[in-house]
Amino acid sequence: MPYTYVWDLFVRVFHWSLVVLFAANALVIDEDSKLHHWVGYAVVVLVGARLIWGFVGTRYARFASFPPSISGATEQLTEIATGRAHKHVGHTPLGALMIYNLLATLLLIGLSGYLMTTTMFWGADWLEGLHKLAVSWAEIAVALHIAAVVYESRRLKINLPRAMVTGYKDMGPE
Amino acid sequence: MPYGVMALIAVQVLCAIFFASDIVADLRTYAERGLSLTYLSFEAAATASLCAAILFEVRYVLDLLRRKASLERSASIAAMALSDVIEAHFDQWSLTPSEKDVATFMVKGFSIGEIATLRGSAEGTVKAHLNAIYRKSGTHSRADVLSLIIDTLMNEPASNAA
Repeated sequence: MPYTYVWDLFVRVFHWSLVVLFAANALVIDEDSKLHHWVGYAVVVLVGARLIWGFVGTRYARFASFPPSISGATEQLTEIATGRAHKHVGHTPLGALMIYNLLATLLLIGLSGYLMTTTMFWGADWLEGLHKLAVSWAEIAVALHIAAVVYESRRLKINLPRAMVTGYKDMGPE
Repeated sequence: MPYGVMALIAVQVLCAIFFASDIVADLRTYAERGLSLTYLSFEAAATASLCAAILFEVRYVLDLLRRKASLERSASIAAMALSDVIEAHFDQWSLTPSEKDVATFMVKGFSIGEIATLRGSAEGTVKAHLNAIYRKSGTHSRADVLSLIIDTLMNEPASNAA
């Protein structure tokens, strides 16, 4: 089974649209513009759809296939420490933790951003602070995510970015 | 499990990111705010040493995990002492983490094929690791490696090793 189909079309489109929308909103679009709000809502809708897909989607897209697990993460660290290379078909335990982190952070950004536009919280400094803090956190997490993908691609000799484009993971001879 | 150290690393990474971004912000505006470059370089040095400490801790945790993996669940004092003796040899030969893992499996009597399966690597990779182990330890075979270890065990009373 050299090539295994792991990421369905929804997961791939979700991933790359999120990349484009988040990068656009965090780096390019003027934060006081209407467009910033709409792109933000689009991100929240995307994350919402991903949450639903996590229960009804294909095998490796379901949360049940990558439950948050500290012991699993420790096991993966042990593999790194001993130079063992066991290929995971779906998300790895550490990768799963990052996904939950990113989904939660994006929702927090969306929620705090929406509340800033309501009359109830208009001009609340702490809310803007929270919004910016969450965005910084997301940016750090994205940088870490990319670094981890490069590291794991080299360690496991799987082209992980290509798998997120084509949907197929090269699991090598087994 | 070194969960405490892992949590400590996570907290220190957050602190390091915070200090580093603070330094970057200071560097942009230090002239108009009347900050001295000496002050900034002290800040930078402190942050750099924090980063060094984090790297040291990461290595420490990975080493702990590796040792735990090679010990697996054998909790008896004799097994721990034996493992310490073996570990001391591996350190003395300056084996890499991967080579230590392969050497542990080899000492335990696994075949090349079995080691490859256990480590999720190709047999050729395992053979390359074995060659490195023989070269670094100045031995030529599995039996040579084992006799070196057993030699130390017989010269040293077990209580010393523990």
